[in-house]
Amino acid sequence: MDRFCFKSNIWIALLALIVATPIFVVASAWLLPGGELWAHFAQTLLTDLVISTVILLLGVGLGVSVLGTILAYLVVMVEFPGRRWLEWALFLPFAIPAYVLAFVYLGVFDYSGYAQVWMRETLGLPGFDIRAGHWAIILTFILVFYPYVYMMARASFKRQKIHMIEAGKMLGASPIRVFWKISVPLARPAIAAGLLVTLMETLADFGVVSLFNYSTFTTAIYSAWGDFRSIEVAAQLASLLVLVAFFLIYFERRARGKAKYYSTDVSHIRPYTANGWIGWLLFAFVFSVFMLSFAMPILQIIIWSVDVFAKEWSGKYTSFFASTAILTLSAAVLTVTVATVLALPSRCKNQSKILQMLIHLSTLGYALPGSVMAVGLMYGVQNISLVSGYLGGSSLNHFLFGSIALLLFAYVSRFMAIAYNSTSASSEQIKPVFEQSARLLGASRFRLIWQVYLPMMTPGIMAGALLVAVDVMKELPATYLLRPFGWDTLAIRVYELSAEGLFERAAVPALMMVIFGAVLMLAFNKLDSSRL
Amino acid sequence: MLSVSDLTISFDDNQVLEGFNLVLESGDIFALLGDSGSGKSSALRFIAGLESAQSGAVVLDGNDLSSNGTHQMRPEQREIGMVFQDYALFPHMTVFQNICFGINELSKENKVKKVSELLQLICLDGIEEKYPHQLSGGEQQRVCLARSLATSPKLLLLDEPFSSLDKSHRDQLVKEVREILKKEGVTSILVTHDQNEAENFADKIGQIDKKQLRIN
Repeated sequence: MDRFCFKSNIWIALLALIVATPIFVVASAWLLPGGELWAHFAQTLLTDLVISTVILLLGVGLGVSVLGTILAYLVVMVEFPGRRWLEWALFLPFAIPAYVLAFVYLGVFDYSGYAQVWMRETLGLPGFDIRAGHWAIILTFILVFYPYVYMMARASFKRQKIHMIEAGKMLGASPIRVFWKISVPLARPAIAAGLLVTLMETLADFGVVSLFNYSTFTTAIYSAWGDFRSIEVAAQLASLLVLVAFFLIYFERRARGKAKYYSTDVSHIRPYTANGWIGWLLFAFVFSVFMLSFAMPILQIIIWSVDVFAKEWSGKYTSFFASTAILTLSAAVLTVTVATVLALPSRCKNQSKILQMLIHLSTLGYALPGSVMAVGLMYGVQNISLVSGYLGGSSLNHFLFGSIALLLFAYVSRFMAIAYNSTSASSEQIKPVFEQSARLLGASRFRLIWQVYLPMMTPGIMAGALLVAVDVMKELPATYLLRPFGWDTLAIRVYELSAEGLFERAAVPALMMVIFGAVLMLAFNKLDSSRL
Repeated sequence: MLSVSDLTISFDDNQVLEGFNLVLESGDIFALLGDSGSGKSSALRFIAGLESAQSGAVVLDGNDLSSNGTHQMRPEQREIGMVFQDYALFPHMTVFQNICFGINELSKENKVKKVSELLQLICLDGIEEKYPHQLSGGEQQRVCLARSLATSPKLLLLDEPFSSLDKSHRDQLVKEVREILKKEGVTSILVTHDQNEAENFADKIGQIDKKQLRIN
């Protein structure tokens, strides 16, 4: 490696290491005492935790893969009534935080919810416990997270060469056979990428699992920290999560393989048309997913909000909204800036396997629950202060704890995967020949980045920023623990009200979040349509 | 004058070129023929400074560009132009912006003048504001040529630039490009696997055969 590459790689490696700091803090927990409590956890809880987490991951993974892929295939490949507006409407569930959908479903289908009351009193059916077993929570996760697979698979289907599908048709394959034998295998890397994000989100979720009283690693981490006051065991459990995420990323890379599956051309021809009752059947299917995942929950939130609006609304909401907007936008800009630097095409980067591994490491924060990220950071700052004090310097605690800087750092580290996936996807499409011709035309590295790479990566950068913004807006635990005084966000308001069982009043801030999120998602969708 | 001496290139123990020597006088148009994988493109990319080699030196107009298989000058300092097989026009820039990319230091007026002259030269006047995707393959390749010529390179390398065009367009463009290069007096090397194309294009032809260059 030449000197220029060495220097450039060192800077990128340093950046990746800084982003990955919370991972190291969490992993370093194994060096700390906590053995007895860990042994207690391992003996009494670990097996159940592993089983319930695996069942959850399998159920959610299978569900989102099937639903997301089928929906994407239908809107891209088949013309049916309502296809055009359903294609973008299916993105909207992204705007709903998972815990909001969970509290709406619990509010409606719980034993005392009006759906069950009506089923018992009018239909005479026996009551049931929606929290029992695995199916209700798995269904909730599928409805919230299917858009990840839908989004990736849709982009991939749009890039499939129409000739291959036509060749399949000419060879006499039925639409279902073309779907199974041609389209799905070609879209496999995209489906795997969507699945990876879904599984990492499911692993890191706290809101839904705690509302459903479902035990996973995240709830155990809370219990270790909240009930047993052991930051070490909490971090040790969290490091297992990181390990699982690491394996998931490895399998996703393997699924992706070395083959290039797509062309860069986008086709707007739909090979199939569904007329008559089959068309309406498809419409009914896609529409019902949209109703269950977005329209009905929103309607319920609106009904609750209208009932309590006068009581709940006050001037404080301007401040909640302002805090949410400022944090969301600054975190999005910061995260995507770092992600762009990490993703810029570079021949030097390609030469170093270690650097590539470090960059992957910097995206693992996505599997860390927000609370673990927050605790890890506080713990890290405290240790730095101790070292600094030991060396005769001053403590960093007073200006880092409760500062915007620490909170923004947590967001950057937590959501790097989202931003990096998007920016690196657009960077991978830049052929090396562009760099070579720019250099032969005398362009400096700065000019190459500024005038060639960045404009070509802009759609990916913008899309990454919008997705990060939606996630930051919905983020709860890290914000709750690290926010500066007086910086309550809409998510915190939802949490505080719903934690007290005031679901109807929580609907007001939830509705504001959904509207804010929907605006961001519509902007994303518009950007995405101009790319596809 | 260009001199390439003792160039040896291997990929993972597989030697493709051994002791490759080439001398071109100013204004020469040379074609390098060879089968796929014969190392002809690698030789071109070594001269451009884009790839290293096991051994080899390049001297252009008295300047040492590379010696012992490593490069003394970076590609951007060599004053060498290159036209690639798959066009490599920047898709987000107009034809005008693409051609101006290498002559950034000129004033706006001079840029306009230069672009207009070059577009006349490649017989595509008036397409300044078009984007690459609005042009045919042949048009894109001619704009690529104009972009490389804008910097007045001492040497122009053409890496199978005609291979993605259909035959009738290809023959026509080969003749046109040759005329343009002759008119401008640019020393050029074309890499191709098509004997006919080499004959129509070049003053001198060399063939890579059993890792060695034979000048016909």
